[in-house]
Amino acid sequence: MNLRKLLRIARWEVTKNAGGVDKRTIAIMGLAVVAMVAVAAVAVAGGASGLDSGLYRVGIEESSPYYAPAADDPAFLVREPSTLAVARGNQELRFEGTELRNRPVTQKEKAALGEFRSSVDSYNSRQMASEDNQTAAYPVAVSLVYLEQRGVTDTVQTSDRQSSSDGSSGSASGDGSTDGSGSNGSDRTGGSTGATPTGSDGGTASGGLSGLGAGLTGGAASGTPSDIQPPFPFESLVLAFLFIVPMNFVIQAYGSTMLSERLNRRGELLLVSPVSRFDIIAGKTVPYLLGAMGVITAITLGLRLSGLTAGGGPVAILAVMPLALLFLSATFCGAMFARSFKELTFVTVTVTVSLTSYAFVPAIFTDVTPIALISPLTIVVRDLQGQAISLTDFAFSTTPPTLTALVLFGLGAGLYREEDMFTQRALPLKMLDALSGRIKSKWSALKLSALLLPFVFVAELAAVALLFALGEVSIPLVLVAVVVIEEIAKSIHLYAGFASGRYRRSLRAAVAVGALSGLGFFLAEKFVAIIQLVQLDDINTGEAAFITGTPPDGVSPLLVTLLLLAPLALHAVTAMVSSLGARRNRRSYAVAVLLAMGIHFAYNYTVVVTLVQ
Amino acid sequence: MIARRDLSSLSREKTIVLALVIQLFVAAFSSFLVVGLTSLYDPSSVESDGIAIGVTGDASQALFEAVAETEGVRPVAFDSPSDARRAFDAGRVNAVLTGQYAATPNGDGKILQVTATAPEGSIRTTLVVVQLRTVLKTLERNERFERANSLERVPLTLPPEADASPYFSFTYTVLIPLLLFLPPFISGSVAVDTVTEEIERGTLELLRVAPVSLLDIVDGKSLAMVALAPAQAALWLLLLSLNGISVANPLALLVFVSAMAAIVVVFGVVLGLQMGRRRPAQLLYSVLTLVVFGAAILLPEHPATTTAKLAVDSPTLLTYGHVGGYVALAVALFAITRRYVDRIEPESL
Repeated sequence: MNLRKLLRIARWEVTKNAGGVDKRTIAIMGLAVVAMVAVAAVAVAGGASGLDSGLYRVGIEESSPYYAPAADDPAFLVREPSTLAVARGNQELRFEGTELRNRPVTQKEKAALGEFRSSVDSYNSRQMASEDNQTAAYPVAVSLVYLEQRGVTDTVQTSDRQSSSDGSSGSASGDGSTDGSGSNGSDRTGGSTGATPTGSDGGTASGGLSGLGAGLTGGAASGTPSDIQPPFPFESLVLAFLFIVPMNFVIQAYGSTMLSERLNRRGELLLVSPVSRFDIIAGKTVPYLLGAMGVITAITLGLRLSGLTAGGGPVAILAVMPLALLFLSATFCGAMFARSFKELTFVTVTVTVSLTSYAFVPAIFTDVTPIALISPLTIVVRDLQGQAISLTDFAFSTTPPTLTALVLFGLGAGLYREEDMFTQRALPLKMLDALSGRIKSKWSALKLSALLLPFVFVAELAAVALLFALGEVSIPLVLVAVVVIEEIAKSIHLYAGFASGRYRRSLRAAVAVGALSGLGFFLAEKFVAIIQLVQLDDINTGEAAFITGTPPDGVSPLLVTLLLLAPLALHAVTAMVSSLGARRNRRSYAVAVLLAMGIHFAYNYTVVVTLVQ
Repeated sequence: MIARRDLSSLSREKTIVLALVIQLFVAAFSSFLVVGLTSLYDPSSVESDGIAIGVTGDASQALFEAVAETEGVRPVAFDSPSDARRAFDAGRVNAVLTGQYAATPNGDGKILQVTATAPEGSIRTTLVVVQLRTVLKTLERNERFERANSLERVPLTLPPEADASPYFSFTYTVLIPLLLFLPPFISGSVAVDTVTEEIERGTLELLRVAPVSLLDIVDGKSLAMVALAPAQAALWLLLLSLNGISVANPLALLVFVSAMAAIVVVFGVVLGLQMGRRRPAQLLYSVLTLVVFGAAILLPEHPATTTAKLAVDSPTLLTYGHVGGYVALAVALFAITRRYVDRIEPESL
């Protein structure tokens, strides 16, 4: 790597880019962003209706006390009550006075009734807010305290009680975006604009943003009963989108420039110049990384300065960096694999969706469990909320994605050469090329197994995050996922090596590279000990996933040694099995890997079962 | 002819399969989110004995009644707050409510002060807090009725509770619109790709050696893309109905999706021809579609709402008016674009 050359390529990328994305494009983009802000402003100012507006039809006479709440809620269309309309399915509910006159049968009628109940409830709250006698209107004041069960007491949100008339302006329906902006006294308890369980507050960005201010200044710890906010990760959801949406634009541009290098052999000029391919790749990536970080910094500062969030600083920005790297590296790999723009579009969508769910699913548990730390977004959300973040937490959630990103760049770089860039090779062949490009000798087996570990780590963490919500069933499922992921990671590069002729197809060689691959995986896996620092193994599912990585405490030294060596033996044996299959052909490789998975699963299952007892 | 070529090349590339898988993944992902989140809330998703709430303090009688009135929770009375606290620590109760009557600051009456204790850092925390809120709101209602004399307006009694599916509203207002709008947007993006790719690779020349005009080429490409969207949407509707989610007005929905696809694809094709390069064209495509789709909230009905109302079978004249409007817009845009393409000099690309 040569910094000067790298920077020059970066400068070319930017200046050439200015020619590609000309002033007209930039002007249109600018206008579009302004338009977006304007639309959001109009929507927040109350000009827009909710997504569910007019979903249900209710029959209520004007004289009925229920007329006002129904007319206030856009989800309901108020009609003259008519038995005929109900029978035809043109009215979901029919009221006489406050008596419900039809029995809800269909799902829609039941949903309408549930919705109407909460709508009347919020109507009541609005009525009470304008009462003179606030003591009678709000006879109950609540302060909510979170305590850890079993001994240790730890108050999360201390109760600084306010007079109950303050935080009551928001109602349970998130559509009332006007009252969020109307009553933002600085000492408002806030948080009452939250999402209702039915999700009726819509998914429009503008609607979400109006609730943000209330949601981010810390949930209501005290106030009236309707102020109580369950630890719903609403802000995490909004923030996740806020930070991830810009990434999509960046990777779109990045993917285009990478792929266009491959069109019509354009990249050849750079490739034959006296710079290494790492210089080229890094030089072409740096501007986009900086761009992404610039946008993230702007968003963070914007949130901070506009007072929407309590905190937010370098920690949040640094925590997004691995995500940005991950997005870029996955797109880079995709651009190296894709054969046309059409394919690149699909690759980009896949990257977006899968990485968004990786960043997103754990982050929604921000307030609940250590699972959340799997995603760097959790760090971001916590930093924005002004919570302190320990170094281990930071390292735990940012290290795996960073390493994965680096490995992805490495794999893509294996393809950044003439044979692969400018030819139309089948996808599986390219995949093998990317791997075998790294193979130099037998010891490469060890290196590659170790290098692929971040992948394994991220994939397993994602599996844990996705499956842990299922409860008891999740442990065997996680075991299966883990076995599949690990065995493939250990053996796929062996197969690549055999297929490309880098390894000799002899029995001895197969056993040797298999053992080395197992050893490499074992060594790298020891780094997994980091998870003990955040006590992820409090959760059974987490324990099941990393069973071979961490020895349990409180057992005799002999047993510890055994427990340390057993995984090594296991990894070596299973890798050898797949290696023996891989040296023949694809089918025998598949059979061998399945066999290895079987062995691995049997081992893991026994260990989990004996440990759980 | 060219439409058929493009379609067959798409299917051969297996990318369309990938696209379907992606959409399935998006749908599964969002449903997973909602099912996961609502299961955090939904009392019936946990064991049947419900949540035990310890009540104590001066006002324990009122609290006890409120808890007993609420479904899914059961009250446990304690003589002293410390007893309740011990039971909470030992995990015998999931939450504790301590109620005291206190004078208000301005001394015009008594207020019920409740301290609610919820477990921290447990998966059930959310559920417990939701139930606590329900209980306390019941309590608040009861107290209000007792003080009705001092209120100008008596609060309305609530309609009966319904055992509604918590996913109903989400399914129709978010999931179905999402599934139906993804295909048109992807179609538009692919339209940008096919046009810019021909220009960037210089293969447009080859096509023009064939006895077809630029107009034929663009027509073929866009028709293929437009046709793809309703086909996918129909697939989703079929899958949804197999899953027991009934979708009303499928024909109107498909017409709506086709119109959307036509608008978006025409937009993509024009952008591709204008820009000639993928990077700026795609960037503008995604930004502008996002803005326009967001700006549609200024219409009387957002497209997502139109979809929801059609799917849930609550369409009004306004809804049909919107669908008609989109169809008219699509036809008009298509005609204008054809005239525009006809006037382009193919050599200038």
